[in-house]
Amino acid sequence: MMTGMWALYAREVKRFQKILLDTVFSPLVSVLMYLGVFGVVAGSRTIGEGPHALPYITFVYVGLLGMMMVNSSFSNPSFALIIAKNVGNIIDLQLVPIKAWKVGIAYACAALTRGLFTLVVAILATAWFIPGLGIHSFVYLILALVLTGLEFGMLGVTFGFWAKNFEALTFMTTFIMQPMIFLAGVFFPIATLPAPWATISQFNPIHHNINLLRYAVTGYSDTNPIVSLGVVVGMSVVLFGIMQVVTRKNLRV
Amino acid sequence: MQSLTITGVTKTFETPKKGIFTAVDNVSITIEEGKIHGLLGPNGAGKSTLISMISGILKPTSGTISILGVDVVAETEAAKKLLGIVPQEIVAEVAFTVEEVLYYFSGMYGVSEADRRVRIREVLRELDLEDKMHERARFLSGGMKRRLMIAKAILHRPKFLILDEPTAGVDVSLRQKIWAMVRRLNAEGTTILFTTHYLEEAENLCESITLIDHGKVIKDGNLKDIQQEFSKNIIHFELFDRSATHLAGVQETGNAYEYPMTALGEDMAKLTAHYGDNLKSIRSEAASLEDVFLKLTNSGV
Ligand SMILES: Nc1ncnc2c1ncn2[C@@H]1O[C@H](COP(=O)(O)OP(=O)(O)O)[C@@H](O)[C@H]1O
Ligand SMILES: [Mg+2]
Repeated sequence: MMTGMWALYAREVKRFQKILLDTVFSPLVSVLMYLGVFGVVAGSRTIGEGPHALPYITFVYVGLLGMMMVNSSFSNPSFALIIAKNVGNIIDLQLVPIKAWKVGIAYACAALTRGLFTLVVAILATAWFIPGLGIHSFVYLILALVLTGLEFGMLGVTFGFWAKNFEALTFMTTFIMQPMIFLAGVFFPIATLPAPWATISQFNPIHHNINLLRYAVTGYSDTNPIVSLGVVVGMSVVLFGIMQVVTRKNLRV
Repeated sequence: MQSLTITGVTKTFETPKKGIFTAVDNVSITIEEGKIHGLLGPNGAGKSTLISMISGILKPTSGTISILGVDVVAETEAAKKLLGIVPQEIVAEVAFTVEEVLYYFSGMYGVSEADRRVRIREVLRELDLEDKMHERARFLSGGMKRRLMIAKAILHRPKFLILDEPTAGVDVSLRQKIWAMVRRLNAEGTTILFTTHYLEEAENLCESITLIDHGKVIKDGNLKDIQQEFSKNIIHFELFDRSATHLAGVQETGNAYEYPMTALGEDMAKLTAHYGDNLKSIRSEAASLEDVFLKLTNSGV
């Protein structure tokens, strides 16, 4: 039944609306900080030459938006679930007549919503000083945003059930997510990385989320966008499978 | 129709210290639709464990449980829809107001938005929580949180309501309120199962009871029958004219008399025939649940 799942989705959206300042403000501050630093470094450098050259600052900007999408959609469900487990109201999810995978999807959709919301606010606040922003492919843009939000939402759900406490969450974001994001081609084209890293980055799933979004916005891509789309879809399917198992194990007998 | 059927349910836990521990031991209970049934037993008897299994949040090691014919493990979502559960442990939502907690929780049971709005007000009014509607749930007092949990459990109008020690640690007036609500819901057709270790509460509310101790059913059935079975086998009576000649075996106790009973109906008839209009009152003494308990367990409650 749709309505039960919808109510859970609405509840999780309401939850982040209650902490609007956290939702919007901290990611915005971090984007602005990165932009400040890279704006100074970048100057008027471009990627490529001629009329289709992409200003370096625009390259970084879209990467930062992708990073923001990854981070907010991951942290929303993982925070909510770790809190629920510690407070004890995870029992609500065990009692309600909603299939476990639908519980997971409701959380992932709320994560996507939060990601989009954060992104829109960030764009409204900052896009005006980024040169040459547009939409290269609307279809790719929708795919990149929706799939990235769901993918990391599902990862956040899985992790939220798995992690015992916030230390585990901090460990995950600091030692796994952040390094992967840094090696995903957010700040520079992965081709400019020294030898093994360029290849390794191809196997970094987050690279493909960033690449897809950058292609959708600017038309520039480090890796063939079809390949990136395939990886992102593949990751989403795999994570859906894992999330389904984990939610069922945690919520159902 | 049976509202709840528990067949041979056992639950064992693996504990690091005690090894394999059997919390619920081959329990079978049936509850008919429309009844108020009490699950009684001392702390640690296995009541909450049994309720977790009925709620579908703990899997029986063996045995089956069905609600109105729906198996709680095999068709868990269908069974959950029929159930309203008030867990023993108080939990509160961190972020939400009382209204929000109720609004989203009942929404998850598929209650329409319009119904939710109306019912939340009704239920909060009945539970005297209306003025707390817009307050953060986690700042409520213990008794209020308990009421909020009851409200959560009934908004979707479950066919079967389970309350795990709903009156533990609540004051007298709230206890009365909870009892009144349980009676009302039952009168409207909800089957109710609740656990308590207040025997007086079970005597007040239940038609049928199950006594469990150390995970095992030690007595099960109609409350009156059980009280009768354990009654002290004495008939008490009073007379208008105390100078009457007495039947053999009658003893005087203060203003009244006692007669040792062998068979209730026959003995009553015998006494009535002998004393006739001189009888002011006559009754057999029913055992209290406390007596039953003390007889069945060494510990009492
Ligand atoms: N998850 C668990 N692991 C190990 N032992 C448990 C667990 N849950 C309950 N028990 C034990 O099972 C017994 C019954 O507990 P419980 O059902 O809570 O009793 P009651 O509700 O009747 O007071 C207790 O001895 C308790 O310690
Ligand atoms: Mg208990």
